[in-house]
Amino acid sequence: MLIPHPLLGLRDAQEFTYLGDAVLLNRPDGMAEGAEAAFAEYVYLRDNPAGVHRELWFHEQGDRSWLVVTRDTTTHEILGAELARDVKLKGGAA
Amino acid sequence: MTDLTPITALGAHAPARHAFGALTITENAGLALASLALRRGATQPAPLGLALPGPGAWQAGQGVAAFWTGPGQWMIEAEDRAESDFAAALAAEAPGCSITEQSDGWTAFEVVSDRGGAPIRALMEKLVNIDAAAFGPGSATRTGLHHMGVFLIRRGEDRLAVIGMRSLAGALWHALEETAGRLKGEGA
Amino acid sequence: MTRLTGGLIDRARNLRFTFDGRTYAGHPGDTLASALLANGVRLMGRSFKYHRPRGVFSAGSEEPNALVELRSGARKEPNSRATVAELYDGLEAASQNHVGPLGFDLLAVNDLFSSFFAAGFYYKTFMWPRAFWEKLYEPAIRRAAGLGSLSMQPDPDAYDKGFLHCDLLVIGGGAAGLSAALTASRAGARVILADEDFRLGGRLLAESHLLDDAPATEWVAQAEAELAALPNVRILCRTTVIGAFDHGVYGAVERVADHLPEPGRQVRQTLWRITASRAVLAAGAIERHIPFRNNDRPGIMLAGAMRAYANRWAASPARRVAIFTNNDDGHRTALDLAAKGIEVAAVIDSRSDAQAQGHYRLVHGMVCDAKGRLGLRGVQIDSDGRREWLDCGALGVAGGWNPNVHLASHHRGRPVWDAALQAFVPGEGGPCGLIAAGAAKGQGSTAAALRSGAGAAVEALAQLGIEARSAELPAAEDAPAGLRPLWHVPGKGRAWVDFQNDVTVKDIKLAHQENMRPVEHLKRWTTLGMATDQGKTANVTALAVMSELTGKPIPETGTTIFRPPYSGVSLSVLGGGDTGPHFRPRRLTPTHEWARAQGAVFVEVGPWVRAQYFPRPGETHWRQTVDREVLATRAGVGICDVTTLGKVDVQGADAGEFLDRIYANAMKSLKVGMVRYGLMLREDGMAWDDGTCARLAEDHYVTTTTTAQAGPVYRQMEFARQCLWPELDVQLISTTDAWAQIAVAGPNARRLLERIVDGFDLSNEAFPFMACAGLMVCGGLRARLFRISFSGELAYEIAVPARYGQALVERLMEKGADLGATPYGTEALGVMRIEKGHAAGNELNGQTTAQMLGLGRMVSSKKDGIGAVMSRREGLAAETRVLVGLQPVDPAQPVLAGMHLFAEGAEHRTETDQGWITSACHSPHVGSSIGLGFLADGGTRMGETVIAANPLQGQKVALRVVPPHFIDPEGGRLRD
Repeated sequence: MLIPHPLLGLRDAQEFTYLGDAVLLNRPDGMAEGAEAAFAEYVYLRDNPAGVHRELWFHEQGDRSWLVVTRDTTTHEILGAELARDVKLKGGAA
Repeated sequence: MTDLTPITALGAHAPARHAFGALTITENAGLALASLALRRGATQPAPLGLALPGPGAWQAGQGVAAFWTGPGQWMIEAEDRAESDFAAALAAEAPGCSITEQSDGWTAFEVVSDRGGAPIRALMEKLVNIDAAAFGPGSATRTGLHHMGVFLIRRGEDRLAVIGMRSLAGALWHALEETAGRLKGEGA
Repeated sequence: MTRLTGGLIDRARNLRFTFDGRTYAGHPGDTLASALLANGVRLMGRSFKYHRPRGVFSAGSEEPNALVELRSGARKEPNSRATVAELYDGLEAASQNHVGPLGFDLLAVNDLFSSFFAAGFYYKTFMWPRAFWEKLYEPAIRRAAGLGSLSMQPDPDAYDKGFLHCDLLVIGGGAAGLSAALTASRAGARVILADEDFRLGGRLLAESHLLDDAPATEWVAQAEAELAALPNVRILCRTTVIGAFDHGVYGAVERVADHLPEPGRQVRQTLWRITASRAVLAAGAIERHIPFRNNDRPGIMLAGAMRAYANRWAASPARRVAIFTNNDDGHRTALDLAAKGIEVAAVIDSRSDAQAQGHYRLVHGMVCDAKGRLGLRGVQIDSDGRREWLDCGALGVAGGWNPNVHLASHHRGRPVWDAALQAFVPGEGGPCGLIAAGAAKGQGSTAAALRSGAGAAVEALAQLGIEARSAELPAAEDAPAGLRPLWHVPGKGRAWVDFQNDVTVKDIKLAHQENMRPVEHLKRWTTLGMATDQGKTANVTALAVMSELTGKPIPETGTTIFRPPYSGVSLSVLGGGDTGPHFRPRRLTPTHEWARAQGAVFVEVGPWVRAQYFPRPGETHWRQTVDREVLATRAGVGICDVTTLGKVDVQGADAGEFLDRIYANAMKSLKVGMVRYGLMLREDGMAWDDGTCARLAEDHYVTTTTTAQAGPVYRQMEFARQCLWPELDVQLISTTDAWAQIAVAGPNARRLLERIVDGFDLSNEAFPFMACAGLMVCGGLRARLFRISFSGELAYEIAVPARYGQALVERLMEKGADLGATPYGTEALGVMRIEKGHAAGNELNGQTTAQMLGLGRMVSSKKDGIGAVMSRREGLAAETRVLVGLQPVDPAQPVLAGMHLFAEGAEHRTETDQGWITSACHSPHVGSSIGLGFLADGGTRMGETVIAANPLQGQKVALRVVPPHFIDPEGGRLRD
């Protein structure tokens, strides 16, 4: 697989470590009311779509950027990649 | 100066150097390294007269050079200054930046070809999944090599630096030696 | 001898080789199969199940029959296809899969019991009794139904891997591939042309027709010369593209030295990973046969292969041959063989209106039987019910051509049925960027293949924005095949469909009868297509037979798709080459060479190689050494390289706030110049990793991780920095390798360090427990000093630039000689931390909580650290097992990690399980074995006796529950 790194272009997926659903960007506030329920969902519940999926990849053997990669899980087509930092600063993963 | 005697990353008192046909590989034990990261709101400095390069690039100055290592991060190189506290010298040049001493974190192997770029490209083909033809002079990147993370710098058409973790110096040397030796075998 | 005139072999040189111990001669350019045929050898192997005698069937990598053991000794390679084994001087080959000589195989008795071995036999026969499977059935079947045998020795050769990049990868160097490569390379595109053969040209090498009024080989030579001279083209011969992977990545195996007796300085094979923006699949087509009774007699082969042997290799399986065909291509074989002086006994054509195309006997009919168990003697012809035996030593069978859709079906690409061609062609949904051309697309005539290859290249490059014009193409034959399908000859007896796995038309009928009709069931029930050739010459024919039985058209019966690899690949080349100590990269500590000189025994700790212990002369057991190292450290001073702990440099205005969120305990409140123990949790609340956190400046911390988790912790810290809290001003970088970190532990540690620091006050007041500082040592060397202890003694860790690590240890040993300075390894380190009750990897195994570790109060509820919320959830809070020390009631008894803990008198069942032992060692301080473990309500059970049991091995030991600190429980030694 090739990951289209937003700064470095197409890179071998072997340089990356995969984490999973990009909703991990949306960490609940641990000091808020009802934090435990929010965390239970954050830690354990994931959608598992057949189709377009936003997911986190870490360029571990590269520039150490975390990326949000949009991938079709049925075809492996990659529809885009952004720096996770930018996604988070814009308000997190949808 | 301390009276302790340093050793090279390969555990010897003198840097390793070996010729394999067109390629000569030399351990660059004198290279000083320090990382530079921009802090929040910092303006990008030009330490030691270096224009910090963009993603994928390397910029050389007088005895010093810089390569991009990540968003807002660079590695600064200085020839023959590994014994000095280069990080402290750099920090003075780059206010508002996080500087971390890296000279001893890495081992640099300088690969030089006496037959132009072709032997360098042939070596890269066997070691890294980076398109050697698109990795011309001034390119720098980090990638995997035999399961090790390394920085590659194309210092010239006929030269390539491979910079790996110091603790992996032996494994990296083995990979370079084996591959360069085989290329020599094929050329013979 | 059946060597003919002409051919692409170098008759000036003779190559000697042996087959089953007999010596033969061939020429450069020969394959093992062509050389054997030229020497009159038709019988080359035995089939998988029935041990039927078999001869060569094809002239390429699709070969099902002629599998041999190639080479001898450690280089012996079973199941090698004689059709692609390039001949070299001294080649050794042996037939396989028989007991006794090839001509009289004792296991051929299986053939007499063929009704017993019919489709699905092992599903039905060996179901019970169950115990018989492992002991009786499986070994017997494996012995009888194996293929070649392994050498059982390590592979002596080197293998390599590599990475290539191009605009266009052309797979196959025949007519279509060459015209594609010429077209693309002239447009300036970067082209890789890969062909599995040792010579470019593909089918053009096997045909007699002309290109522009000259032999096709002339055009091939011109094309090759042009391509070889271009800097933007790379030609890879002897290279099989084995698979298409995501995003234009292709795997290819180059057989660098398989054609040499020994590789010498070269590698044997190279695994190339090719990243191609586009690819042209010009892999040609594979001929299909027409099953009839006894169609597996040695000497019966594909007609196109017979023609290839005659034209390219000047070899023929016999002097008198016959052809069985359902299309015009069979007639071409007859003409070419006749032109080479071979007697064509007849062409048997199933099409009633077929015309002879030369001077040979034409029979309208079918071949319905064959005789000659070890070599064909004749075939029986049925012409409108009139039967006749025809003498011949070989039969060429021409049933039409199947486009080689293998790679096009890798990404779930579904081949589609082309009714005009009566064949499957590549369909939609295959690997993106892969365009089929030539015979692989059903464009089988030479002219069509040339046009199609050029057209595919133009199309592919246009997608990349490169304008290309079709190369000028030579004039070539463009004849239609005129095929009228005949999928098998009806009749009694066994007609083979899949030769290698011995699947017959009858087996397919049986599968149909037993309702194994979907193609996937058919395959598994009969083992069709599951042999080393993956059914390349069988699958479509089998599908057609099933379609006949079900009455459904072929496309509704199913399609046959393929997975990588295209053909068999050695595990050695996939392994990439490095073996033994180079199997994976090993990280060495800065004092590795010194430790080796001291005679240290090393141990692998993840990727690291660490000194485990330092034996001295006279010590005969590792325990003696370790006990000495522990006692010397506790009495004087011990020295240990702890560089392997992960170190992460954390800087920035918000570094403290960031670390507060990373660690379970508070770090922002840490004073500059101090160190704090830090515990990290996973977000699910379980304990994850621990280490120390040192504050060097207001905006500068250095954290350490365990050796094992250094990578994952650094990754998690970057995740937190970039994905969770990018608004914080914090910068991270690993400094693990930059600093050699040496532990100096024991009551004499301060006295020793005082001898090397450059005027630094080490007094307890100036530099107390958990202090840290930057300083100078050994006359001007910059260093960092941390007063931390893993051993429970007065201890420090001193860090210097890694290149000085070895010299520093030497200096410490020299200066500490009178203080009892003793190097210690990981074993003594482990003993001392167990004696002190420090948790390590065994306790932080991902199944434990801060509370269990006795660190529950460290988890701050005043801040939002990772894992804090979930660590308070009901299930974890209710956990009562806590870390305790364990000591045997009888000091002679051992304590073993992994044992489970039970109350005295309780049964040893899951329900009564009260915990387990995580770490154990012999403690020279206590004088017996000791252990750490998690015990239910352990905090309130001090002094109680519990039973540690290992029911698997019947072990049982009575242990006393004690506090986890076996040494200096008040911690006075650390602080003085």
